[in-house]
Amino acid sequence: MTRLLTCVALLAVTLPAVAADLTKEEMVKLLADIDDRQRNGGDFKALVYLEQREKDKADLVRELIVYRRDADDRLMMLFAKPKSEEGKGYLRIDKNLWSYDPNVGKWERTTERERIGGTNSRRRDFDESRLAEEYDPSFDGEGKLGAFDVWMLKLQVKPNVDVAYPTIKLWVDKNSRNILKQEEYALSGRLMRKSLYPKWNKVYSESKKADVWFPGEIRIYDEVEKSNSTYVLFKSVDLKPLEANLFTKAWLESKSR
Amino acid sequence: MTGFLSELALLFHIARRNLFTTFINFIIGLIILVGTCGQVAGSSLLSTLTSSMSKSVIGSAAGHLQVYNDASEDELAIYGQMGGQDPSLEPITDFPEVKKQLAADPNVKNIVPQGIGGGLITSGNTVDITLAKLRDLYRARDEKTPSTEGKRLTAEGYAEQIASVKEHIRQIVKVIHADAAKADALRDAKTVDPSEQEHLVTAASDAFWADFDKHPYDSLEFLENYIAPQAGDADMLYLRYLGTDLEAFQKAFDRMYLKEGQMVPTGKRGLLLPTYYYEENLKLKCARKLDKIKEQLANSRRTIATDEELKRWLKENQQQTREIVLQLDGIKTKTATTALQGFLKSDEKDLNGLLAKFFDMNDQNFHERYDFFYAQIVPLLELYRVRVGDTMTFKAYTKGGSVQAVNVRVYGTFEFKGLEQSPLAGAMALMDLMSFRDLYGYMSKDKLNEIQALKAAAPSKGLNRETAEDELFGQGGSVVNESVTSTIDEKQELSGTTAKKRGATLDENTYSQADFEAGVVLNVAVLLKNEHDLEATQARLSKMSTPNTHFRVVTWQKAAGVLGDFVYYARVGLSSAMSIIFVIAMIVISVAMIMATIARTATIGTMRAIGAQRTFIISMVLAETSALALFFGSLGAAIGSALILFIGNKGIPATTPEQYFFFAGPRFLPVLEPMHVISAFFIILAISALSTVLPAIIATRVSPLRAMQTDE
Repeated sequence: MTRLLTCVALLAVTLPAVAADLTKEEMVKLLADIDDRQRNGGDFKALVYLEQREKDKADLVRELIVYRRDADDRLMMLFAKPKSEEGKGYLRIDKNLWSYDPNVGKWERTTERERIGGTNSRRRDFDESRLAEEYDPSFDGEGKLGAFDVWMLKLQVKPNVDVAYPTIKLWVDKNSRNILKQEEYALSGRLMRKSLYPKWNKVYSESKKADVWFPGEIRIYDEVEKSNSTYVLFKSVDLKPLEANLFTKAWLESKSR
Repeated sequence: MTGFLSELALLFHIARRNLFTTFINFIIGLIILVGTCGQVAGSSLLSTLTSSMSKSVIGSAAGHLQVYNDASEDELAIYGQMGGQDPSLEPITDFPEVKKQLAADPNVKNIVPQGIGGGLITSGNTVDITLAKLRDLYRARDEKTPSTEGKRLTAEGYAEQIASVKEHIRQIVKVIHADAAKADALRDAKTVDPSEQEHLVTAASDAFWADFDKHPYDSLEFLENYIAPQAGDADMLYLRYLGTDLEAFQKAFDRMYLKEGQMVPTGKRGLLLPTYYYEENLKLKCARKLDKIKEQLANSRRTIATDEELKRWLKENQQQTREIVLQLDGIKTKTATTALQGFLKSDEKDLNGLLAKFFDMNDQNFHERYDFFYAQIVPLLELYRVRVGDTMTFKAYTKGGSVQAVNVRVYGTFEFKGLEQSPLAGAMALMDLMSFRDLYGYMSKDKLNEIQALKAAAPSKGLNRETAEDELFGQGGSVVNESVTSTIDEKQELSGTTAKKRGATLDENTYSQADFEAGVVLNVAVLLKNEHDLEATQARLSKMSTPNTHFRVVTWQKAAGVLGDFVYYARVGLSSAMSIIFVIAMIVISVAMIMATIARTATIGTMRAIGAQRTFIISMVLAETSALALFFGSLGAAIGSALILFIGNKGIPATTPEQYFFFAGPRFLPVLEPMHVISAFFIILAISALSTVLPAIIATRVSPLRAMQTDE
């Protein structure tokens, strides 16, 4: 009788856990959903506010316009404020991330680790999400983040894919299937950044005939320089079609003439 | 009086007679000799080292005194802090007022505003550079504006230049294509990205080049995005710079001279590159290695056959022929190939292969091949990445943490007399103050107001990293908001005060002296009329600081940071070593004299018995030690002086680049100063006198009766 009760108790404890584990397919599907809901069928333009706080330094503040054409995998960022930054920008064409400085009229090929506008944000924070395409997931358990029930996933970069951080841990809200928290690790296993996503906005897209999701704000905490943090605020989004030739060096150059 | 003199004569006689009577005296003398010799030589070496280093530091950037903001977090370190980073200094915002205050001191000769920073010189790889040149030509042609190089050409001129650069790029594509085919054959098929090969096939095709001019910017972007990354030979250079009033600098630091080019014209922005850095970092790598091998073969006993480093340099040249091959267009490739085939008497058709054979050098053929390289190959190449007259792009992190870049024209290269080989003196470029301020990114009131306005428009609650998760997710609820699409108008967001407009005219601007002096500087070099009055002048200038100017004054040694500390530690080290030697000497002399005194108990007792007073016995012991100190001290001082004169005449050659800086030239020439000899002499006399205290006391306690009984 005691043995039977023990077996029942063990089953009671382990069964929900087994049932809650996401299979590989489910995790890939979850990542694909996260990617897909942030992708627009047409063009995407956002006005973004960036603020970097560092110990003993004046806050670094930027306002930029982010342009995306997800169908062609194109991204451009044009800095609008303050005046000293106006006209600077980034352009991603396939594996190349170019930065442009109108002060010197030169383009420079940068890497995925480029600190956007001198802040601790990276290209991936503004670009379309490609988690399913770039990473292999594994299940890291489920739990609570504050009052939210979350799945925890560990992502490992796929071979021959260039990303800023090869390992990511995600805390995904079970209810809304949105990322709430993200930790990014270097190849050595050292935690580099922690990002919190407290707000997710959705806006109806005519071209997609569905909602497009984007983070309302991102709070990035530097885990190496513990006193540094970055605040990213998506102020507004515009889904109207962009100029056909926008994602070119010539277009970005023309904005500072 | 006569009695005193006769007593003195007697003491002298006894001291002279006993000088070499015992082995103990010889040991004592030897210790005195070594101590005096060490003191003379050590103090001369240290004094000359301090003096030559002061020449290097004072003459190359620091001046006699340095003035900087007293509110600075770090201490000024002209040559960087331990670990290489530059100190964090608060700026001097009212330089004219500081200058006025400092100039009031009668000993101040020159006042030079300065600011030190470090920037990156980024240029991409050879393909990036060549493509940027082509893009620049198309843009200048289409917009009818001068290129970034400042050139304005006719339509035919543009067509000719564009055709030439295009031809060069076609050659580059051929080289990359051929190299990629070889590399792919060696690689695992899984690691080969087929799209890379496809892009190369497209770029190498006649159709691509036939249609190039139909959409030149699209063609350029294709090459920039898909071909240039495959070249992969880009490197990034770091260069420290000293922003300064260049005219005032040249007047104050007269050891500086131009090696090539000209001074930056009055009122203009511009840059002077240190020759050492120019040669080491901006010259074609294989040419620089050949130069260094030539220098080593001429100035040392090293040979290619026996020296691993020289062999390695040549091996690297054999493996890095791409930097040459990628620079050549079709015609130049043919010229180089023909020249090398003739020289090597080879049928090899591949230029890479020919160059590899050419760089397979030995002691016998090195000089002939070196001359051939400079006569036949170098004229086909860009020997330096940046030439005098070119515009360099500097990128630096501003004090606020953002990245700023400026274009600065290189007007020339410079050196400091006697410090030509020193990497420390030749590591900092001289830059105009305007460009320096752009890179420094001082947060003016206007800029601060603009930032405040932006922050006010996007209020963000700063959250502590420890409690952020609780605050953001602790309450639960939904994280999802319904949003609407809005219109984002670039015209509204961009002010139109574009950086391009500001940047385009910078090179043409002419600034007044007041403009140069009006902005922020980080430190101020002060050169004195009388350098011997250094400390007193420092004290006077320090008192001039007001709450408004709030500056700190430090000597060149303090301003030199780690280097200044080196002199301090060398001095402390030498003083400690000498102190230890002297303490040991004192103990040994004292013990030896006690032994000598005990050995002479009977003599002293007899002397006391026949009427010698205690003072006479004390004087006798003192006189004997003094005689030893005088004789052996003189000998030690003479040997020490001779050693310094000998080294001073021959010199110690600087064997490392750092030693050039410490020695203020290629050889260290220590100088003997009379003060070093005199002070060493007096120190040894004092120590000898002190060591006689105990033996003298023991000697005076010898009882005549006991002394005589001992003999019995």
